[in-house]
Amino acid sequence: MGEYSVVGKSVERKDGRVKVTGKAKYAADLVAPGMLHGKILRSPLAHAKILNIDTSKAKALPGVMAVITGKDFPGIPFGTRPDTRDQLPMPITKVHHFGEGVAAVAAVDEDTAEEALELIKVDYEELPVVLTIEDALKPDAPLVNEFSKSNIAYSSDFVFGDVEKGFKEADHIREEVFTSQRVTIGFIEPHAALAEIDSSGRILLQASKQSPYITWRHMCRALDIPISKMRIVNPFVGGAFSGKHDPFDVDFAAVKLAQITGRPVKIVLNYDEILAAYRQRNAMWAKLKIGVKKNGEITALRAECILEGGPIIGIGSFNIYFFGAFLTVPYKIPAIEYHGKLVYSNRAPCGTVRGQEIVLSQFCRDSILDMVAVDLGIDPVEIRLINAIPSNWKTVNGIVVDVSGLEECIRKAADEIGWARSRVSRPKGRGIGFSCASHPSGPRLGGHFGSSVMLKLVEDGKVILTHGGTEIGQGANTVFCQMAAEVLGLPYEDIIPGVSDSDTTIFDSGMFGDRCTYWTGNATIRAAEDLKNQLAVVAAKELGVDPKELEFKDRRIFVKGNPQKGIDFLLAVRRAYYERGEPLYGRGYWAATDIDIVDWKTGKGNLAHGLDFIATAIELEVDRETGKVTLIKGVHGDDAGQPINPLMLEGQVNGGSAHMAGHALLEESLYDEKGRVLNYSWRDYKQPTSMDTPEYIVEHVHTHDPYGPFGAKGAGEASSCSTLAAIANGIYDAIGVRIKDLPITPEKILKALKEKEGK
Amino acid sequence: MFIKRLPQFEYHYPKSLPELFSLMAKYGDKAKLLAGGTDLLVSMKKREISPDHLINLKEIPELKGISFNEREGLRIGALTTIDEIEQSEIVKNRYQILWEAVSVMASPQIRTLGTIGGNLASAIPSADTAPPLIALGASLTIKGISSERKCLVEEFFKGPGESVLKTDEILTEIRIPVPPERSAGTYLKMMRRNALDLAIVGVATFLKLDRDKKICEDVKIVLGAVAPTPIRAIRAEKLLIGKELNEAIADEAGRIASEESKPISDVRASKEYRKTLVHVLTRRGLIKVNSMIRERS
Repeated sequence: MGEYSVVGKSVERKDGRVKVTGKAKYAADLVAPGMLHGKILRSPLAHAKILNIDTSKAKALPGVMAVITGKDFPGIPFGTRPDTRDQLPMPITKVHHFGEGVAAVAAVDEDTAEEALELIKVDYEELPVVLTIEDALKPDAPLVNEFSKSNIAYSSDFVFGDVEKGFKEADHIREEVFTSQRVTIGFIEPHAALAEIDSSGRILLQASKQSPYITWRHMCRALDIPISKMRIVNPFVGGAFSGKHDPFDVDFAAVKLAQITGRPVKIVLNYDEILAAYRQRNAMWAKLKIGVKKNGEITALRAECILEGGPIIGIGSFNIYFFGAFLTVPYKIPAIEYHGKLVYSNRAPCGTVRGQEIVLSQFCRDSILDMVAVDLGIDPVEIRLINAIPSNWKTVNGIVVDVSGLEECIRKAADEIGWARSRVSRPKGRGIGFSCASHPSGPRLGGHFGSSVMLKLVEDGKVILTHGGTEIGQGANTVFCQMAAEVLGLPYEDIIPGVSDSDTTIFDSGMFGDRCTYWTGNATIRAAEDLKNQLAVVAAKELGVDPKELEFKDRRIFVKGNPQKGIDFLLAVRRAYYERGEPLYGRGYWAATDIDIVDWKTGKGNLAHGLDFIATAIELEVDRETGKVTLIKGVHGDDAGQPINPLMLEGQVNGGSAHMAGHALLEESLYDEKGRVLNYSWRDYKQPTSMDTPEYIVEHVHTHDPYGPFGAKGAGEASSCSTLAAIANGIYDAIGVRIKDLPITPEKILKALKEKEGK
Repeated sequence: MFIKRLPQFEYHYPKSLPELFSLMAKYGDKAKLLAGGTDLLVSMKKREISPDHLINLKEIPELKGISFNEREGLRIGALTTIDEIEQSEIVKNRYQILWEAVSVMASPQIRTLGTIGGNLASAIPSADTAPPLIALGASLTIKGISSERKCLVEEFFKGPGESVLKTDEILTEIRIPVPPERSAGTYLKMMRRNALDLAIVGVATFLKLDRDKKICEDVKIVLGAVAPTPIRAIRAEKLLIGKELNEAIADEAGRIASEESKPISDVRASKEYRKTLVHVLTRRGLIKVNSMIRERS
């Protein structure tokens, strides 16, 4: 590892000041000349046939410019993969969940649009609802999705290694069932879209999207147009956490209404609409059976998982594979048998949330690991060290781990939380829980999958960097500017993030799975090297040396080891523009072609590079009388390779953990027996506040990933994967009760305590 | 079903009480009074109510401010914001029970909007200011166009969203007597999260001890969010009067208070859990207050 000037430094975020001063323009802030305002009419029923929608009265209201329903779209379904195309822009024959958009209006102002919604008459024929996994799997269950003949939406089944032998060799076997609730996603900025149509009919969409490529592809398919007929420009995005990948009725309706009226149309949702009717995390039922030797070594794992994901598959086909695949990381598991199913239901559609379904699988596996550790009398830190995956490891299902700092992560977390001391004495009601996790740095999915970056070197020596990832608040623009500055020997402030625009940017396939720093970061380095090579030719000529001899540092280009023999960076730029007439563009792309496109149904293949590792220790206190859990301190031993921006990395790690503290303890989207959401306001849906968040400490474990940019790995999602079990295990350590059913509410704790004391 | 934009209404902003009363007389039940608006505007956006007129009270000087003297005690204008009460030194030093309640309400931002009068007049069962005010023996001044009456906070509530206020009356001020020597109170609120949340249960406990700081001379236990209105746990209070407080008797008082509560189950908590909390919080409040008085020199 060399000494870096910009990489590894906690430089100020590129977007920090503009955001905290309220000057950043998000989709809802955008205004276009002649713009109309759109609103969406939502279904009060969770499952019903649409018999008729009468929009005539709404259309007749003065100020209303257009009213649309699902029938205004071509009726072409879209989905993540060719075999999972099960969604329409807006429903045509039936509604699938409470709050689903059934019609949309564009009017001269928002009040008129709202008034028009009340004039739309929808005739429904109510259908029985499917709400739970049990409902969905009943032999006579009503079918949820009109494109599927079964409520089993997707499945993933695999066996790797000799599972029978593994259980035979085990000294101790334990089987447990775990469940997890529906949670919403919790980004700050609500969904919003502004659509405009130019004189040639080309669409311009500016919306709050996490993965503009996914939105672009799916929308063009469902609108039956070539993708060149649509342009996407991304404004500032206020968080996404996987809740803004795909196009929603908001985006489709804005486009369709703009096409019909010929005027720009903006739709901005209220948050209650999002809490009721947009992406959530799947509800889970899972059964795990683990075999271990007396010394704590795991010999085999058998797992079943059923996810209830609402009326669409979405990314669920990947989720159900991901759950099983990452049961074998970050511990050495010699054999695994896995059976996963995703089922349709009439609850809000699921995508996923930060950490994807690894969050759920690590909760189950690290909970049961803690349970067998107690059974065998092995220290929870010890059992994790015994099983921790080392570097140069290949999991039984074929996932290759190049570099693992997990052992050091575990030791650092245990030290910093004061584990050894706590075993001597600790206050009553206090406990410490551990969990480890791993997350890959961006899996390869089918289709377009590379990342690319374009650098434009301006005459004044500054560089404009546009990339195919998306800045959604995670800090992508900042880390790429740091990387480009490092390669070009420029100060960080000389690199300016450009606009994310499909006309000039080649979008990444999506912004998910800890992918951006790793993939787009590598592309940034290559783009900067491309630019550097061009400048080196210019400077070499000036200096009469070989371009290969040149070094770039402190805005100078000079012969290696001889800083006197060189020219200013700016002079080289001017020579190129003014004497050679040569524009300076750096192009770079990166694509891991040496990893596999995994078959999600059979789980075969090496999914990704750059597995990041984390060991999380959480100290907490449980009030035995009220059941209330107070998180006191969270320590993360975190191996993200080489941190590019340590402060932002800490923000990601701590943020992921705080986010999942809500999943562990507070959050649950509740439904009544007819599938109507009960708590779709921020008052009643309990996300944690800063007052619910413990003191966090991140212990960076520096490793060097052979494929990562500057040795970095992806980051930000591993801590969300390690937090649920750390909290559940901490509660067990504090009061000796094991809650396997999330969220761990005070009432569940009191009930469990009562049962324990009754015994 | 989903939140909408505010419906149309005519907006009035009287600068004095006479001006206010004439507007109220003119528009009657077609008008709603706007204080902080933290409940009202949300109800309007949900179309639970759509008044034709909104009368903003915030520009009437008589309705604002906090004042104190040793004879009459504390006066808080009904339009005083929760934040102003939280920032008041006199409230913090002399009426800690009320200060504890306002400092755990909603969020700092909402506290700068919400008013104490609005919190009371909305009459929601979980209103945080009600239990401490009842425990302190506070009274309200209620004025009409040509009337003025006093009402104990304890007698103000009639049911969820209902109070003794008539449509032609307004709540103008809250008066709280000077707390007696050797007395103290505390407000314990259980929420699902530590901020920005409604009470699952709120318990105000108030004690006055005898000269030797041993025997309970006066006891108030007031429960929020466990009945259609805030209620006093009278039987639990009676148990303690004339007795010396200890763990056992405090626990018994908690048990009785729990019996006296009449909570419901909803999305926030079950009835049984609320009853458990009344028991625990009452005991903890009593023990805490008792030692607060004893430890005070």
